[in-house]
Amino acid sequence: MVEFLQFTLSGVSFGMIYAAIALSLVLIWRGTRLVNFAQGAMAMFTTYVAIEVIYRTGSYWTGFAAALAAGAVLGAVCQLTVIRPTINKPPFNAVIVTIGLLILIEGLAGIFFGGQYRAFPTAFSQTGLRIGGTPLGVSRYDVFVAAAVLVATLVLAAAFRYTSAGLRMRAAAFNATIARLSGIRVARVLTVGWALAGLLGALAGVLVSPSTFLYPNSMDTIFVYGFTAAVIGGLDSPLGAIVGGLLLGLALSYSGGYLHNGSNLVPVVALVILVVVLMVRPDGLFSATQVRRV
Amino acid sequence: MSSAAAEQDTSPALAVEDLVAGYGGVIALDGVSISAGTAAITAVLGANGAGKTTLLRAISGMIRPRRGRVLLGGADLAGRSPEQMVRAGVAHVPEGQAVIPELTVEENLRVGMMSWPGGLSRQRPSRSERIAALDEAYGRFRPLADRRRKLAATLSGGERQMLVIARALVARPRVLLLDEPSLGLAPRVMAQVMDLVVQLSREHGLTIVLVEQNARGALAIADHGVVLNLGRVVASADAAALAADVALRHHYLGF
Repeated sequence: MVEFLQFTLSGVSFGMIYAAIALSLVLIWRGTRLVNFAQGAMAMFTTYVAIEVIYRTGSYWTGFAAALAAGAVLGAVCQLTVIRPTINKPPFNAVIVTIGLLILIEGLAGIFFGGQYRAFPTAFSQTGLRIGGTPLGVSRYDVFVAAAVLVATLVLAAAFRYTSAGLRMRAAAFNATIARLSGIRVARVLTVGWALAGLLGALAGVLVSPSTFLYPNSMDTIFVYGFTAAVIGGLDSPLGAIVGGLLLGLALSYSGGYLHNGSNLVPVVALVILVVVLMVRPDGLFSATQVRRV
Repeated sequence: MSSAAAEQDTSPALAVEDLVAGYGGVIALDGVSISAGTAAITAVLGANGAGKTTLLRAISGMIRPRRGRVLLGGADLAGRSPEQMVRAGVAHVPEGQAVIPELTVEENLRVGMMSWPGGLSRQRPSRSERIAALDEAYGRFRPLADRRRKLAATLSGGERQMLVIARALVARPRVLLLDEPSLGLAPRVMAQVMDLVVQLSREHGLTIVLVEQNARGALAIADHGVVLNLGRVVASADAAALAADVALRHHYLGF
């Protein structure tokens, strides 16, 4: 029972990180029907920004803020420079461009920051919390991770729901033609979407790196899990991204904990989940059932 | 039946000169010129593929004209983006009652305000102006008021048509481009929509370009009619004169 609780809490903590990546993918998917394969690499790069700032200033929070800002800027710059020219071209062009971005950013990270594994600091203790003498399997840091993603998600959801900018983004995502005819500058909205996605990815990168070390490929696996979470959720649904992230986090945590030699099987389990979801509900668990395209 | 305002005003609110536009290798508009008088209804008629929808798209900037001029109050705006055209006062209501079904009725209306000055602009409307604009829309379209918090997906065809016209009006246009507003509506609702179009032009001074398959209904309310065929203007005259031209009606308008 204690073991189960531990695996659950740890699953939630990692699940929230997958959810953050998934949410960043959903933001871009909804605007442009494009999976940004460079999302993980962008997050890795901004985490390097964080680590450099932390070492120079000695402040975790300055580094944290710098990573988020860098994520927003990097997202916007990528969209403006290499993604915008692919709009109105065959969809595959943009996919290839994001894969090119992935290779480019990981290469640049190796050049600027070196290829060695670097430990990333945390703001809170990573030693496990206990109730009575019983270890819970989560640390203060895990709680911070889950809370940070939750707060980011809620702020984003509220902004989408209640602000004029949020309405612009939703309108542009649902029907770009109507949005433009109504005066929404859709091109600008897409750039903002990439900036927000970059920010969320940066958050995930900073949050996960104490557990994974930081190196130029360190976000590749996390990206695959985040992508899986987004697909489970249906790619179109922010709520689906969160639930998909949590489900995947739990499934991977249980399989890593309970299966024999489980920790080696985790990527396989993720793959099996992805395949099963795609077979049973190809549009994901949270796909809107109403027909959207005419 | 041309309105007094249209006759007094010498320069048309909207004029299109020698417009050429198309899609890829296809020329859909081949040198079209029309002029729409201020506060008048100009019906654009013709068979499927005549270029009616393309004409509206080229005016509102949804497609970029290859040649020609789009004059709004004398200024050439050809090639401007839809975002710019709606700010210049041209609201385009595309065919198919195109609400955004995932948004509520009120959110759809608020989308219509996105062309208003915003950000740090000095003319940025206040909150009360926004509420007043919504109230005006709800006052004109009562059924929308009752359903303001409902998703637009739940509306009937007629209500959707109300909503898309209301959304366009919220932008406070001078020129309204309506593409097949009666398509797919029950006859009674169709008549209501036509009445509304008349009201908008007579009472509110909107310049209206009305594209219709239903040529008989459109000519009944229009001041002026333009008949397109294969991307060219084949007739342009007073609406009553077009309706009286039996040969033209049989040949191009199907009634």
